[in-house]
Amino acid sequence: MIFFKKMRGNGQSPPRVSLVEICWSWIGSFIGITAVALIHYKLLDQNGLLLLIGSFGASAVLIYGAIRSPLAQPRNLLGGHILSAFIGVTTFQWLGEYPWLAAAVAVSTSIALMHLTRTLHPPGGATALIAVIGGESVHKLGYLYVLMPTALGACVMLAVALIINNIPKNRRYPEFWL
Amino acid sequence: MRKVTNRCCGSIEISEPDIIEAMKDIQGYIDISPGDFKEVFQVAYTHAIQRIQNSLIATDIMTRSVHCVEHTMNLMQTATFLADKGISGAPVVDTEGHIVGVVSEKDFLGKMGLGKSASFMQVIAHCLNNKGCMVTVLHNHFIQDIMTAPAITAGPAISIGAISELFIDKQINRLPIVDIEGKVVGIVTRTDLVQSYSVPR
Repeated sequence: MIFFKKMRGNGQSPPRVSLVEICWSWIGSFIGITAVALIHYKLLDQNGLLLLIGSFGASAVLIYGAIRSPLAQPRNLLGGHILSAFIGVTTFQWLGEYPWLAAAVAVSTSIALMHLTRTLHPPGGATALIAVIGGESVHKLGYLYVLMPTALGACVMLAVALIINNIPKNRRYPEFWL
Repeated sequence: MRKVTNRCCGSIEISEPDIIEAMKDIQGYIDISPGDFKEVFQVAYTHAIQRIQNSLIATDIMTRSVHCVEHTMNLMQTATFLADKGISGAPVVDTEGHIVGVVSEKDFLGKMGLGKSASFMQVIAHCLNNKGCMVTVLHNHFIQDIMTAPAITAGPAISIGAISELFIDKQINRLPIVDIEGKVVGIVTRTDLVQSYSVPR
């Protein structure tokens, strides 16, 4: 019975943030994704390279929308994406014949590794998964996928977060670096 | 330690509405549910109490110039000594300075037949009602006859949390601090303990 009782939950949701806060979250994520998308479409895409991967959309939620969260700190943003990208590429190269298995191993292993290294960053799971299911264009990057798009994109997002999140008086970012 | 914590300080309860109000005051999305925060707060609070209770030990707060009475003194000498020093009790030591017991007002009251929890007003009431004084029964007696022995003592490293616990559990008002040989090096009274909590550290 306790088992089912636990499913009901007995907590409350945190309160809604102020409209000013929402505005700054919008501005930060708009500029962050703009920067990444511009680099992708104007510079890299013409050479068949890519910068835009879906997991940056998820990172934007954290580093512009929940900037106090431990999950949103630079250590987690960079560490989570880079380690997960590495795991994703490695997994695909070992288990690429069984995509369903490679997908599962990539995500679960990257979560474990992020936990171990205190770099848990939810979008990292997507970064690892994309390395497996991303198709030909991603696969042919090999370990370059770790550097670009992953590390480069994360750095651009971080730079925008550092600037935008520190403009309002009562916002500050990051909480910690290491 | 936890027992004391719950007894004296466990009652500060913050409610989830308090936390939600605080979250509204502090702008920005705080990535924790109010219930989890409450849990963290309560555990952290217990740790803080323990840290404070363990941060001071007997040597930090004890009175070092201890007025001891010798076990051979009679009760007149003892009462005179305690009155002169303005104290209500003292450790009892043998000729080499080893602690053998503690004597206090309670022991005198007990000997006078009033019970250890009697008060000064009861002595007055009793004396006035009986047109005589029960104090006379104390003549020709010695400390050894009334002292509480063996003494409840502790070493210099005992924490103030543990001292509080002893005061409550043993219902005592002073704790002689002794070295390994049993010689009195200090005493912690209730006053010392109260001051240790009020002095900014």
